Amino acid sequence: MSGLQGQRRRDSATRAILLTLALAVALLPLVWTALAAVGLRANNNTTPPSWVGPPTLDHFRDVGIAEPSFWQELATSTLSAACASALTVAASLPAAYGLARSHFRGDRLLTQGFLVLASLPAMAYVIPLSDLMRRAQLVDSFVGVVLTDSAVTAPLAIYVLHGAVSQLSSECEEAAWLDGAGLFRVISQIVVPLAAPSIVATAIIVFVLDWNLLLVPLVLTAGEIKTIPLAMSDFFTFERELEWPTAAAALMISLVPVAVLATVFHGVLDRFALNVPRVD
Amino acid sequence: MRLTRRDRLVLFAPAAVLLTGWLLLPALLGLFATFTTYTPFGTLVRFSGLQNFAAVLRDREFGAAVRNIAVFTIVAVPLELGIGLALAYLLRRPIRGRGLWRVLLLVPWLVSPIANGVMWHFLFGSATGVIDFVLGWLGRPDVPSPTGNAGLALPVTIAVEVWRIAPFVTFLLLPGLSSIPTERWEDATLNGAPWIRRVLDVALPSLRPLLLAITMLLVGLSLGTFDGVLILTGGGPGTSTVTPALYSYRRAFGVNDWPAGAASAWLIAAGVFGAGLVYIRAVRTRQTA
Repeated sequence: MSGLQGQRRRDSATRAILLTLALAVALLPLVWTALAAVGLRANNNTTPPSWVGPPTLDHFRDVGIAEPSFWQELATSTLSAACASALTVAASLPAAYGLARSHFRGDRLLTQGFLVLASLPAMAYVIPLSDLMRRAQLVDSFVGVVLTDSAVTAPLAIYVLHGAVSQLSSECEEAAWLDGAGLFRVISQIVVPLAAPSIVATAIIVFVLDWNLLLVPLVLTAGEIKTIPLAMSDFFTFERELEWPTAAAALMISLVPVAVLATVFHGVLDRFALNVPRVD
Repeated sequence: MRLTRRDRLVLFAPAAVLLTGWLLLPALLGLFATFTTYTPFGTLVRFSGLQNFAAVLRDREFGAAVRNIAVFTIVAVPLELGIGLALAYLLRRPIRGRGLWRVLLLVPWLVSPIANGVMWHFLFGSATGVIDFVLGWLGRPDVPSPTGNAGLALPVTIAVEVWRIAPFVTFLLLPGLSSIPTERWEDATLNGAPWIRRVLDVALPSLRPLLLAITMLLVGLSLGTFDGVLILTGGGPGTSTVTPALYSYRRAFGVNDWPAGAASAWLIAAGVFGAGLVYIRAVRTRQTA
């Protein structure tokens, strides 16, 4: 057995080194950006390059000067992503449950169809959608953005939640059905509590996807409703290139909420998994 | 007890309304419109057959976009899968603070594509960037940003996307990888299998369906590349990083050539559905074999 243990020890040393290296590659660009956001940036015009200091929080204030409605956009982003995430899960969970608990010809094929739909880029349908939304008077409206965000992320949510529900034993449900519980009670008192970690994990991932979505607000709004990614693209498309520290501060503001969310819920996020159903 | 018809109707209705109204209906109406001269503000609508598609396919810029996205997909997707799998392999066994490692490694994916473009724009920039900072210390002259170089722009765009997406692949693979029983790894280790054999013989067979599903998502993501290039290169220099999605967007909303925008967007959808057919076949063949 000592051979196995020795191998293991060598393995874990190698692993620690490689992981540290990977972490450095993953985080270095972001650390560089975070430093710039607090006023510590490189000056490459001197030889050798030097650092410009001192640390300051002024650049976060500058974001509000460069984009006066930035803080309002932050609120819009948060609220629309939260509503869209809630709506996505609310519409996807029943469908996922229905799909997992009913058997008909091609039910698994339909499930796999949702993965294909989840892979479909929003660009494939937002051009005609923007036209429809204009006719439905939903352009530049909060409701329009939330509904479209939800439709973009629902296929993935259905697929993931279907996997989560499929793995639950249906015994408790059967017992509840026999006791005469209705559909609503079975879902709210048995399925939701048992699948809660997966549901929360899905809601968080969907929140991140909605938070970062550019195309939907870009095509469906005309200035009234603005999210952070849209504001960021505006920083550059209107021929006014932002100062690096200001851009870095805006970037940090856009990243920190989702990073905090992911860190707080890292235990639950383990439950976000793609369970690929067998197709027969 | 089985769900009744009524139960199923209630269960599927919300998702069906959402997906029909905001995804399937616009997609299909868009498809019909591409066979006509329809534009949102035009009044005269005539059947035009395949004219819109022919016009798009004749456009050199669209040709460049298709070439770029083919290269992008063929290079980026295997890299994302490979790096993602390697990181997941490193994290598969419990190590101290694994939960924290996982979240820290996921952080690049949390950066939005647009913010990612902004960030790398500055990191490559000469006055502010990390490359010239290092070169400066080495006593080397500054290099201009690779995003402005026609030969380097596409590789750099791919690299930046791989940096952002590979962590997400790790995140998706890890549950599957850690569910492989420890004994199977140890058997392979005891048999003296080098790590590469352990990955190929132990991990890949049980991960196959998961890897296929992730590949499907990555191919779709890659074929729809839009906000990742919008700010980083804007499709340039010239047409060296233009993508079909960027082309569609600019046709429909930039130059008001709505039919070309809708038609080229449908060509993207056709690509993804093609990949979807391959995916479903691949998931199936395994199980009948």
